[in-house]
Amino acid sequence: MGEDAIVFAMSAKGFNEEESAPRMRRFLEIILRHDPVNFGDMKTGNRFAKTVDEILRGVQNTSIVHGVFTDWGKVPRILEEIKEADLGMSVVVTGLFDEVEKCCRASELSRHTIEHSLGVMGRMELLPEDDIVEITTMCGHGMVPANLVRAMVMKIKQQEITPEAAGIELAKPCHCGVFNNQRAERLLRRLVATFCVDQR
Amino acid sequence: MRVDREKCIGCGKCFAYCPIGRVFSFTSDGRKIYTVTNEDECVECGVCLRAKVCPTEALYMPELSWPRNLRNAFSDPLFIHQVTRIPGRGTEEMKTNEVTGRYRRGFFGLGVELGRPGTGARFRDVQEVAMAVAPYAIEFEAKNPVTSLMVDKVHGVLDPQILDEKVLSAIVEFTAPIVRLGDVVQVIHEVARRVKTVFSIDLICRAEPDGSLPTTETLDQLGIAYSINGKNNVGLGRPLARED
Repeated sequence: MGEDAIVFAMSAKGFNEEESAPRMRRFLEIILRHDPVNFGDMKTGNRFAKTVDEILRGVQNTSIVHGVFTDWGKVPRILEEIKEADLGMSVVVTGLFDEVEKCCRASELSRHTIEHSLGVMGRMELLPEDDIVEITTMCGHGMVPANLVRAMVMKIKQQEITPEAAGIELAKPCHCGVFNNQRAERLLRRLVATFCVDQR
Repeated sequence: MRVDREKCIGCGKCFAYCPIGRVFSFTSDGRKIYTVTNEDECVECGVCLRAKVCPTEALYMPELSWPRNLRNAFSDPLFIHQVTRIPGRGTEEMKTNEVTGRYRRGFFGLGVELGRPGTGARFRDVQEVAMAVAPYAIEFEAKNPVTSLMVDKVHGVLDPQILDEKVLSAIVEFTAPIVRLGDVVQVIHEVARRVKTVFSIDLICRAEPDGSLPTTETLDQLGIAYSINGKNNVGLGRPLARED
């Protein structure tokens, strides 16, 4: 969790979406200057499915654009550049609250609205193993299947794929590009050492 | 999703690409082994099709009619909802709050996302949660796909035609006064024992001028745990919503 920072922007439908595409494109250009692990647009796709040009050209007024970083040290400068650009788009930073607060202080921003999780409840026995859930939940839309994580673990064990390539394979179904493939790679390395996969 | 029996060679490559994990299985007609889909479990998310792993292009999504097309509308992030204009089951929620003023001081927002992470949910359970929280809610969020399916927005009652439809996830979203937070959390715990799926709970709060959050202060007093990570709107959107 400490190595996962997401910065995204969107327009408010019915409030400021008109002609917001060029501003969200500028946001993405700022993101790209800081070498994100993954990035994308909900409308077009992620970096593993589309080229940078395709993503930038595809930005629309109703896009949701973002970048994923493993280095929190980059985030204050990113926020400063976004602030200087005066885009007028809503910007949300997702990650550890302590880290976000530090970044906001450094870039002289204040947190406006915050969202906490109160956890997961209900039929918990239906959930996959915690180690698998830690990977699949990096996609907020639930696009990364638990069975795909198991399949990647098996392929790594059988030396058919590297952990790095497996992390990217898991990032592909996450259409918008918020999935952190480098964090997935690290988690997969840990899983391969301790996990047994039932091939039935 | 369906599998063209004539094209399918029974390789099983699609199995790993199902977020629900229980949709595909093998069967045989005596001539060959091929894959079939469990249509009751399939949420029509399209992940397996978009993965393009089928070597014979045997997967296809037929044209869906009401109410089955709801599965695709909620589960496929490429589907744009006509009310929210957000992909899939999504809602702007707190992400644009400095502009929309959806969540104001003195109130909290709650999103109960059924089916997340990764189990899927039927609208019967979505209604169970909506009706449980309705007595405490100021209102259900109008720009939310679940609210648009309510035939009774005061009591959280959904269209009875959809109750057996399954989706990857669906969010019950509402606002309530902060003084009712403890009651709402208790009701959530109670309804968790009745639903046949899991749900995630997201608590939203507008920060006070000094940066403090009345919601976490209340949770601390009640001894209720909350996450150390989450989403932070940093207030750069314009024009700003009026605070009064």
